[in-house]
Amino acid sequence: MENKFAYKLESCIRRDRFFFFSLLSYGATAAIFVNTAILGSTALGLLSTLAYLLINAVFLGTAFFAKEDGFFRLTLGILLLIMLLGFIGWIMIVLYTFNAVTLTMALVIVTTISSVLKRTVGSKGDRYPA
Amino acid sequence: MIDIPHRSSWLRLAEILYLLTISLSFYFLVLSRTGEAHTVWEVLHPALLSALFLASSFLVAVSLSSERIACKMLFITFHSVLIHSFLSVIFPAGDFSGQQMVLGRIIRLQNDALFHGWPPGPFGSIQVEIFARFGGMNFQGAITIALSQMLSVDLLWVHLFLVPILWGVFTPIAVYLATSTFASDDKVPVLASLLISAFPYATYFGAISVPNSLGYIFFFYSVCFMLRYLSSNDYKTLVLVVLFSFFSLFAHYLTGITSFSLLFLTLAFRAYKNEKAPKLTAKASLIFSFIVSASLLPLSLIYLRLFRPITQTAFTLNKFYELPLQEIVSLALIGELSHGFDLRTVFLVLLGSAVAFVCMIYLLYDLRKNPQTRSRIQIYLLIAAFLLVLVDYRILKLFMEELPLNEERLWVFRDFLAAPFVAVVLYAVVLRLSTSLRAMSSLTPARTRIKKSTNHKSFGFFGILLILNLLLPILIGGWITYSLNAAYPRLSPLQTTWYELEAVKSIDETTKEKYVVIGDLWTIYAGERIVGINNPRAYYFAELDKTGLDLFTNMKRDPSSRWMQDAMNITDTTVAYFIISEPRLGTTEFNTVLLKTIQSGLRWRALGEGKLYIFTYEKSNSLLQWHLTCDTKYV
Repeated sequence: MENKFAYKLESCIRRDRFFFFSLLSYGATAAIFVNTAILGSTALGLLSTLAYLLINAVFLGTAFFAKEDGFFRLTLGILLLIMLLGFIGWIMIVLYTFNAVTLTMALVIVTTISSVLKRTVGSKGDRYPA
Repeated sequence: MIDIPHRSSWLRLAEILYLLTISLSFYFLVLSRTGEAHTVWEVLHPALLSALFLASSFLVAVSLSSERIACKMLFITFHSVLIHSFLSVIFPAGDFSGQQMVLGRIIRLQNDALFHGWPPGPFGSIQVEIFARFGGMNFQGAITIALSQMLSVDLLWVHLFLVPILWGVFTPIAVYLATSTFASDDKVPVLASLLISAFPYATYFGAISVPNSLGYIFFFYSVCFMLRYLSSNDYKTLVLVVLFSFFSLFAHYLTGITSFSLLFLTLAFRAYKNEKAPKLTAKASLIFSFIVSASLLPLSLIYLRLFRPITQTAFTLNKFYELPLQEIVSLALIGELSHGFDLRTVFLVLLGSAVAFVCMIYLLYDLRKNPQTRSRIQIYLLIAAFLLVLVDYRILKLFMEELPLNEERLWVFRDFLAAPFVAVVLYAVVLRLSTSLRAMSSLTPARTRIKKSTNHKSFGFFGILLILNLLLPILIGGWITYSLNAAYPRLSPLQTTWYELEAVKSIDETTKEKYVVIGDLWTIYAGERIVGINNPRAYYFAELDKTGLDLFTNMKRDPSSRWMQDAMNITDTTVAYFIISEPRLGTTEFNTVLLKTIQSGLRWRALGEGKLYIFTYEKSNSLLQWHLTCDTKYV
């Protein structure tokens, strides 16, 4: 990534020092819940969803595509994230129901899985610049 | 832009012009939006195709330049999203049929999952229940509903743009990754990722939000990682292969089965590659694996009836007994294109695959001469996969009947596998021309023993400029733009109109009681767009529901409150509506039905300047409140 800001941001998220971005992702989930259940604002929904997608896509990209160029790492991470979200959402629908509460549960599960995968699978073999 | 002096300034200019023309194309597309049209071609802004052609040409020029790959790919995704958004932007409810049927079911899924549990039973058998739970509709529904709730955006918009955006972004990248496993120059994969837009069937399936399209996307990635797996010992690659194959099955059985067929073939190729000196038995096992992989799809479609009793697929030789030889040959060669033969469509649909096929034959010949080529096994696998799709298509087309889907859906696999080879051919042409022109510009003076003059230099420069930077981008850009002619249908029934949607919306907004709507297929599609299918509060019969069709036919023939009463009893509702529209019935029938229905004493209101009429009947016969809130005249 030639764009320095994007590169620095991605590096920060990949390092996830003190679990800052993992916590931020949970924060975005909380914002999505409040927005879905109470506010219903598209602007807030867009902002919190973008933050959520970016953080978790970088996590999953780091876990599975560490050797790829930054652009491909991010886009492939987004694809894996959508697959994971769809899968957990499907489990919620088939087993129970799909409302604001179960959506939030699904988002929390996806964030946790992404964060854990980044720290376990992503740390094996391929190292990224500190 | 290849090796031209002041490259960066030329490149910047091409990029700026590309961004300008692609933005204009988006703008013209939005201007083309309409509420009543049969095809996109009726209402397309006159300047859109010109702007898109220029954008495609600039994009080809940028793709052949030394710009960063991420930047090129970003530009390609803008272009790809644009050409896959025609149906979603232009029509008020997207493409009729499949896309609206899926939306109707997703709305139902959302309502039922919320209130009654999903999927609704009883199923009759455990296999049917498995299919109902694991069907791709649930997976797509989960993604659509989740994104809709996360963004606080209407389900319709998320549904309409889900596949066009996912396809637009991820398919070019998949083509890039697949091509990069064997291409020696990094401009070839970029060109391939752009050329996938020149394949009409791939473009069409990228434009409609159905589970099959999602399945294609996962299939493409499963192929990418299969190609990587051939030369990788990384366990993550294998995990990704299995993951993408599983999700392609999860999204749609066609893509999933094909994906697993290719996975089997990949394992065979990997075993073959690991043989130190492949013997005859190894080659025989490769052929055996190909036969098994090719038979997996036809056999799976036969056994699909275990999970989906409505499917009655079987092998047959009927076509050989019933059809003349000429038709059998046309079916084998061009499939459904033989019906209503149109040379332009046939040319556009088959051009890419034909070029790829010739390239494959050349590569096979070349690889025999150079057996140590680094990515030989990846090329073999791609060629084998391409042949497998060709063979399976012929089996499905000629030797099977009652298939649950159109055989031409296999062409999307074929197109994906062909795109890398077309890029190889085109890039070889670019290189050959570039070398020839350079040789001409530098050697001509030496040969003729004339002192080098600035004239010759300028000839070389302008020759390269003209051919490589103008002519080739114009040709490839023109091909991509022109192929849209075959991607989006030129003949189609009237798409869901604004007044049909308005009718459904006004009924739903103004009726407090549970209601049922008797209407034709088009009314049902419009209903699916707003309230979903089989919604107990706002009931629309399913598209193929015989009860719904019978009620509509009876109402047309003998309009009376009797049929509306029946509809209310069947669906446990208290209000019934009957909708007819002139464009659907035709003027003569419409006028006859309208006159008879008005004479029967039912209350009515008109929409769309008298093109659509809504008739109503209430169980309690009390005065309806909903019409009082309507701004149109109610009689």
